[in-house]
Amino acid sequence: MTAPVIEARSIIKSFGGVRAVDDVTVTVAPGEIHAVVGENGAGKSTLMRILAGVETPDSGDVQVDGMAIENSAKSSIDAGISLVHQELSLVPEMTVAENIFLGAFPTAGGWTKTKQMKKLAADTLREIGVEVDLDERISRLSVALRQFVEIARAIARNPKVLILDEPTASLTPAETNYLLEMLQRLAGKGLAIIYISHRIPEVFKICNSVTILRDGKLVLSDSIESLTPEKVIEQMVGRELLLDASKRRKVNDTGEVVLSAVGIKAPGVNGIDLEVKSGQIIGLGGLVGAGRTELIRAILGADLRTGGRVVITSQGKKHSVTSYLSAIRAGVAYVPEERRTDGLALGMTVSENIFLPNRKQVAPRGILSKAKNDSFAKELSEKVNLRPPEVTREAGKYSGGNQQKIVIAKWLGRKPAFVVLDEPTRGVDVGAKSEIHKLVKQLADDGVAVLVISSDLPELLELSEIIHVVRDGRIVGSLIGEDATEKSVMSLAAGEKLVGA
Amino acid sequence: MAKESLTQAMAIAKSPDEAKREVKGSAAFVVFMADKGIFVFTAILIAASMTFVDGFASLQNLTDLFHRAAPIGIVALGMTFVVITGNYLDLSVVAQAAAAGVILIAVSNATNLATAFAVAFVVAIMFGLVNGIAVGYFKANAVIVTLATTYMGLGLLRLLSGGSQVFGPSDGPIATFGTSKLGPFPYSAVVLVVVAIVLTFVLSKTNFGFMVRSFGVNEKSTRLSGTNTGFIVVGAFLVTSMAAMVGGFVLAAFSNTAVSNMATGFDFQALAAIIVGGTSVFGGKGSIPRTLLGVVFVSILSNVLVLSQISYGWQQVAIGSLIVFAVTVDALGRRVGKK
Repeated sequence: MTAPVIEARSIIKSFGGVRAVDDVTVTVAPGEIHAVVGENGAGKSTLMRILAGVETPDSGDVQVDGMAIENSAKSSIDAGISLVHQELSLVPEMTVAENIFLGAFPTAGGWTKTKQMKKLAADTLREIGVEVDLDERISRLSVALRQFVEIARAIARNPKVLILDEPTASLTPAETNYLLEMLQRLAGKGLAIIYISHRIPEVFKICNSVTILRDGKLVLSDSIESLTPEKVIEQMVGRELLLDASKRRKVNDTGEVVLSAVGIKAPGVNGIDLEVKSGQIIGLGGLVGAGRTELIRAILGADLRTGGRVVITSQGKKHSVTSYLSAIRAGVAYVPEERRTDGLALGMTVSENIFLPNRKQVAPRGILSKAKNDSFAKELSEKVNLRPPEVTREAGKYSGGNQQKIVIAKWLGRKPAFVVLDEPTRGVDVGAKSEIHKLVKQLADDGVAVLVISSDLPELLELSEIIHVVRDGRIVGSLIGEDATEKSVMSLAAGEKLVGA
Repeated sequence: MAKESLTQAMAIAKSPDEAKREVKGSAAFVVFMADKGIFVFTAILIAASMTFVDGFASLQNLTDLFHRAAPIGIVALGMTFVVITGNYLDLSVVAQAAAAGVILIAVSNATNLATAFAVAFVVAIMFGLVNGIAVGYFKANAVIVTLATTYMGLGLLRLLSGGSQVFGPSDGPIATFGTSKLGPFPYSAVVLVVVAIVLTFVLSKTNFGFMVRSFGVNEKSTRLSGTNTGFIVVGAFLVTSMAAMVGGFVLAAFSNTAVSNMATGFDFQALAAIIVGGTSVFGGKGSIPRTLLGVVFVSILSNVLVLSQISYGWQQVAIGSLIVFAVTVDALGRRVGKK
């Protein structure tokens, strides 16, 4: 085995008394693709930020080629460590070439050497095997191309170590394959790659070795040959997964139609009809960017609708939805995709967040009573099993799962007739996830019409009675939940041609 | 189950926002200053003024101080609503207060006091609606919109009053109000306190006040919870307009005269009081009592500078520096607190 190019030894990092990374050692050799896997919150991203010098460890050090590096982003880059962040960090208004050299424009006496920059950018893109117009603005590129430009940017710094944090999260299977091949090619040239992913099949496809983290601790670090996917998942989770997916919901067609949307058109939505009946859970599957969020936002009037008609029937009355407010008045509850920015006011208390949509019920005369708000909020937080149910605590101080429960709680107070949940358990821990699933099923059992958007296939399969798969702003197929499989949803979502890839 | 709640407890403790309670050393100091600094500074300023400045504690000086503080203070209290929504400020209070003052005196001279109040009220509503609708429903920038309405307002005022000063009769009710006192407190100070009490109630105890705060903390989540956010912004501008009107009345009554440029500088001085009080220009954070404290601080500071015979130019420099300091601490406190 060759000498390691990067070596992080006994890294410890705490946030507010809890160890996010607890005595973790990772070494990677040139040409090696090393996977770091673990559940959400296992400490992967923190560890990578420490390697990239963005975060300072409480103890432990990082060595490149046997030399300890100072802890700063600049010295990490100088030492040859490049991190491709989970969130894309390109400037949308600037061109591909400019983005690749962002912060390191080749200059002469203060003047940007555009020609040289373009040539270097072209070389870099050729090296990673991506064709894109250098003068195109980032905002005009697809998510996948942006991801590739991001990688080009990292490669342009001639790194010895390339770190990728969930690079395939928003890519289609074909794009993912392309990326994986690219990484194998780069590793073949002697680059050390640290690959963070949730997706175990990808890890087994390209990685040479695996490090598994759980609750900040190193659980296992071994070569890929001595492991199986089942073993990796078992070690990641550290407990048995309850496979509720076997208990699929049967199609319940007896309720009255609550949502009737006909011919919905909006930017990214090309004419969709959708119907949800009382007591049903309807799933919307598809890839990120397929137009699912745009569809429901257009249905609810949260974004502009360019065509189509929406009628919601609640308490025996038909309500035509012409604006978001009219949708809410008609009995809609909307749990948005971005709970931290759209779902909650993180700086306000649980009680205040719950009060907002229920103010006419809790304070009918417009005068607040803190005691009344708190008891109202307390009752709802207990209903959704918020832990701990301290309603005077700031919403932002709760974990993702609990925050999502608060969002659901605030709508339950209105006794909605139609509930829309967009990625209800993204970034939520396993325990809270199954509780949220239970809540959603309970809602439907109580006669509420439920529409769920999810990119999490097991979740979609577990919850939905009917799955409509959306691609390019159209419903490309509808599957009966009981008969659907991850593969059947995925092949519709990605388009037939890409299935084999 | 036990295991689940354990992982959940860990997840709660691990959330990044938890770390913000842990800020230490100089960072903690900045956060403290951004939040509680005004209390410390006001106490120091009052103590120092009473000890070192001759004539500060005299009844005559305190009455004078109240007279000067009241109009700007009333405007600042109202404008706090706009600042809390995160829409920076309402510059047009300069035109609004002047319009109210000129209308009060000119219209009551021509007709009667009740008509003057009614006309001023309608004008205030017009200002509030134009500002509020442009900013709230059309999402126009508040600074530019209110800069423009200031211009419009001052222009109309000039056309109507010919730009000349109007005087009330020296024995009229306006003049009487301007010079009367309740115990040691001039009526203007009483109005300031009443406005403060009413607006404190509105901001912290009513659904409307709640929506203003919620909108300031997170506009998107407030909208998606089924709130008419345009209405909230219009409401905040209307409250500011009402306060500017009352501030203009008080200012006119004090001297029994009014002229179109009488409220020059009110926009900035009101903002100074609001920001120094600790209401954040980023929205969401702030209160009426804080603004009242800011009014007290800024007024005492100006008063002390006057008593110490420091020229007006230096007073402006001092207030300007104070704002730069307060806004910097606000921004810094927000950034440090976020980390």
